[in-house]
Amino acid sequence: MHPIAGFGSILEEVATASTGANDHREVGQEAMAAVLSSDQSALEAEVSAAIVRCAAGESSALRVIYDLEAARMVGVAIRILRRRDLAEEATHDAFMRIWRSARSYDPSRGSARAWIFTIVRNQALTILRDEGRFGTDEPADGDLPEPDSALSRLPESSALRHCLEQLDTGRRNAIVLAYVHGFSHGELAGRLGMPLGTIKSWIRRGLVSLQECLG
Amino acid sequence: MTPDRDDGIHAAEFVLGLLDPDTHAAAERRLSSDLGFAREVAAWRTHFAAFDDTADPVMPPEQLWRRIEAGMGTAVPTPPETPHGLLPRLWNSLGALRIAALSGVIATLALAVVTTVTVRHAQEVAARKPVYVAILVDDATRQAGAIVNAFANGRVEMIPLVDITVPAGRSLQVWTLWNREVGPRSVGLLDRARATSLDLERLPTTAADQLFEITLEPSGGSPTGRPTGPILYKGTTARTL
Repeated sequence: MHPIAGFGSILEEVATASTGANDHREVGQEAMAAVLSSDQSALEAEVSAAIVRCAAGESSALRVIYDLEAARMVGVAIRILRRRDLAEEATHDAFMRIWRSARSYDPSRGSARAWIFTIVRNQALTILRDEGRFGTDEPADGDLPEPDSALSRLPESSALRHCLEQLDTGRRNAIVLAYVHGFSHGELAGRLGMPLGTIKSWIRRGLVSLQECLG
Repeated sequence: MTPDRDDGIHAAEFVLGLLDPDTHAAAERRLSSDLGFAREVAAWRTHFAAFDDTADPVMPPEQLWRRIEAGMGTAVPTPPETPHGLLPRLWNSLGALRIAALSGVIATLALAVVTTVTVRHAQEVAARKPVYVAILVDDATRQAGAIVNAFANGRVEMIPLVDITVPAGRSLQVWTLWNREVGPRSVGLLDRARATSLDLERLPTTAADQLFEITLEPSGGSPTGRPTGPILYKGTTARTL
């Protein structure tokens, strides 16, 4: 049996249908919503409903989130920790936290998926800062992450991508490496071969431009 | 740099994870007391979340789930003397007890509905039986959460089948969609799951395949007039025989 399409996906279909030929500015928010695939909005609704059920103490709902997102969460953590065992550890810690804090999830303060990915990123960053990036398992320099690879995977229509591409290369790279790979100011200075003060100023100026561009 | 803009940059550095541990902890505490700052943080998180979907999925071993499950405390704690046999096992299974309790509630509700219809409206069953019925289902669990009945005289009612948990500061909002061009319309707002009449007087007569949906919204209803929260239950109307 097919699940019945929710209002969200129906709205998107309407928006998609009406953006075809006409003035794009008229459609505004709905056109932006249409950019998201209906798969993604369905995923968001499922995760969001599962968090609400976790808050009610339904343990099966945590498994729903696990089935939907655990692999992606490990993937996000691996980019930061670069070790699969540690990434799984971060994902474990994240699920413990999701379970315990489900009641504090507030849909009015951002999406459900952003909430759980914030949690796994924070757990990964905690492990990273505890373990120290430059331990014995540090891969050779050639394996260092490339900021452009994550950027090029953002959808063409993404506002974040568009705005990051407006920035100077150094500022852009510093911001992408910080978010995607969890680099600290000090690690960015080492990686990009610039003084710490310069890195801090690149980030701040980059964020100011980004804020203006993203509105 | 204006203080506002400074705050926005501070929020972004917090989201990126660039603040030192003490400043990070202070920013974390500020989230619950400073609504403006919390909004800045939410906006940055939403923007940067686009990057999360660019990570390659890496399937964790099933063992990871077993560890999570054990940590949740849902693994049934071993009692001093483990009872054997089906009945003691069922009695000790929280899941089984919940299902039993829920079945009881649903049966009682169903019986109440049946009894009400039988006793109060026996003579006018033909006139009063709903023309359309929608069963609202949770998409993930396939569990029925509520029924919507539409009657010939235009009256529409919703009867919940489960006790929907509504967190503090939230409301349940009922929506219907009969026309995709017009979009969903709010037809009811509840602070808790209870049987209620839906306000469809200003809408066209309920028809077959009309979508009804219950979402979780901020207290007082969606601020945008459109569904914004998670969809709890949804279903479309079917004509009764």
